[in-house]
Amino acid sequence: MAAGTKKVSLIRKTSKTFLWISLVLMLVSTIALYFYVRYLLQKEVEEELRSTEARIENVISGKGLIYQLAPVVEIKNVSVLGTERFKDTVIFDPSQNEMEEFRELSTYSEINGKKYNITVRALIVESEYILIAIMASYLIIIALVFIFFFYLNKSGNQRLWHPFFRNLEEMKGFSLNSEKPVQLVESDILEFSELNTVISSLTDKVRSDYKNLKQYTEDVSHEMQTPLAIIQAKIENIINGDNLNDIQYEHLTSIQQDIYRLTQMNKRLTLLTKIENQQFANPEVLNLNLVVKKRIQNFNEIFPDKIKFEEANILEVLMDHYLAEVLCDNLISNALKYSAEKKAITISIGHKTLMVSNQGEAKLQNPEKLFTRFYRETSHIKSTGLGLAIVQKICDLYGYKPSYSFADHRHIFKVEF
Amino acid sequence: MKILIAEDEIELQKSMATYLERDGNICETASDFNEAMYKVDVYVYDVLVLDINLITGSGLDVLRELKNNHRDTATIIISANNSLDDKLEGLDLGADDYLTKPFHLAELNSRIKAVLRRSKFGGDETISFNEIHINTRSRTAYIDNKPISLTRKEYDLLLFFITNKGRVLSKEIIAEHLWGDSSDMVDNFDFIYVHINNLRKKLTDAGAKYIKTAYGTGYKFMED
Repeated sequence: MAAGTKKVSLIRKTSKTFLWISLVLMLVSTIALYFYVRYLLQKEVEEELRSTEARIENVISGKGLIYQLAPVVEIKNVSVLGTERFKDTVIFDPSQNEMEEFRELSTYSEINGKKYNITVRALIVESEYILIAIMASYLIIIALVFIFFFYLNKSGNQRLWHPFFRNLEEMKGFSLNSEKPVQLVESDILEFSELNTVISSLTDKVRSDYKNLKQYTEDVSHEMQTPLAIIQAKIENIINGDNLNDIQYEHLTSIQQDIYRLTQMNKRLTLLTKIENQQFANPEVLNLNLVVKKRIQNFNEIFPDKIKFEEANILEVLMDHYLAEVLCDNLISNALKYSAEKKAITISIGHKTLMVSNQGEAKLQNPEKLFTRFYRETSHIKSTGLGLAIVQKICDLYGYKPSYSFADHRHIFKVEF
Repeated sequence: MKILIAEDEIELQKSMATYLERDGNICETASDFNEAMYKVDVYVYDVLVLDINLITGSGLDVLRELKNNHRDTATIIISANNSLDDKLEGLDLGADDYLTKPFHLAELNSRIKAVLRRSKFGGDETISFNEIHINTRSRTAYIDNKPISLTRKEYDLLLFFITNKGRVLSKEIIAEHLWGDSSDMVDNFDFIYVHINNLRKKLTDAGAKYIKTAYGTGYKFMED
């Protein structure tokens, strides 16, 4: 489907189609009826005129009497016979004292050797009224039928599609983390029943795949701990043994560092999984200023005077305390690690924002990848590549917005709460 | 000191025993659940180092059994699982400390000594190394009975050195001991030099020159 297509609900769409079709049908049938009834009425008037004319001829041939009853009957003696014709005409009617529309039959006949032009007229106002009355009743009836059908159709559709809509809502609420399979409403409609089967098997597959993937991550991180512990313990025993030279020691401590990195990566992956599993379900109202101050204190023991803190106001957030610490730690340590020339970093709290900035030379090349797992802008700094991914996950969990920008030779990481 | 190491990974069990025996401790080992249950029932230990995931059973059950019989045995749980629930359950059952794998043996050693201080001496013990005396309750150090002023981290560092005296300690081990999880917030451990140098200077000024350099970048706390 083309992007940007306006979406219409199913019921509305079918109602709309019904509406249009009915409207066209109504229009066509009304026009057709109008012409047909008019034709019938005209025929009727003409029949009447003919029969009147025949009677007049009878009277003339019987009694030789010529009478006038203008404007309804006019008889004239003529020398030449013309052709018979019907026409509509407007004549002043003295009885009504106004111009009236008449249907007129003008015939010529020769009776008893004399030539006559007999003109008979009938008022057609009456038949117009009848026509209007018929059309009006027709319109009213058809409109009522239409309205009735419209609602019948709509409620019928609603009932028909009910299982579909229920299942759609159920699907919207579908979560990968959910322990229960989706609860679909059964339907006696074949297609819906098939759809249910397909949806059930798809969601079951997705859930089991997701579960396996999670289990895999957990298992791998978990199972790696013991071998790592063995390696670490052995290295420590070797270091404390005899006959070691400086170069061997260098190698061994370098292995220790890598074990440490692996361990940290494990811990962080486990943390990511835990956040995804929503295992941090103890949100509390926190004074973020205090949390930041506490974290700065912690960092100051390692790097004294490397962090400036500016607080414009008190920022209170509703989140898990541990995750708040992790969020601050990751942003701060990221800034410290990458600050050019090891210059001091700045943390500032503003209206619903937390900003951490550090010295830098140029804007990062791929800022959009910054918050993804295992993305590193440079390789010469040892990192797990998970710090900002964790920041992103925590923000996702609570609906915060993390962003990166570069200004005045500073990399700025901002979180909007 | 009599220590029982209940750990089903034999290599890890042996490494721990090797490290701890050097201080003159007697280490016994249990390689599965039944052996661990049997030993805690029959013998008395000062310390139990307990893996929570023994192949044939849960270390928590061993802990329950132990606490029924010998309440005084200090216990340290080691686990591959970093979950808080396990930790809390273990501590609730009476474990004294909890270490997540992988851990440094020097760290294990220092934790064992700390839980022993707490359980046997009520936390009020003086640790001594020649003329250095540390009062662990007031967290102060004395050299020749004169108090020396140390920062919190310097005090922790000195205590760590003394409990692991004669051992080579790399800056990685020291950083992890002092800062725990926060230590991974930095990209290298060079910051540790500053703290060690400060401590070394304070000790040397008071005549205690025990912090030696080992293999260029490591440290060892020992007499000449």
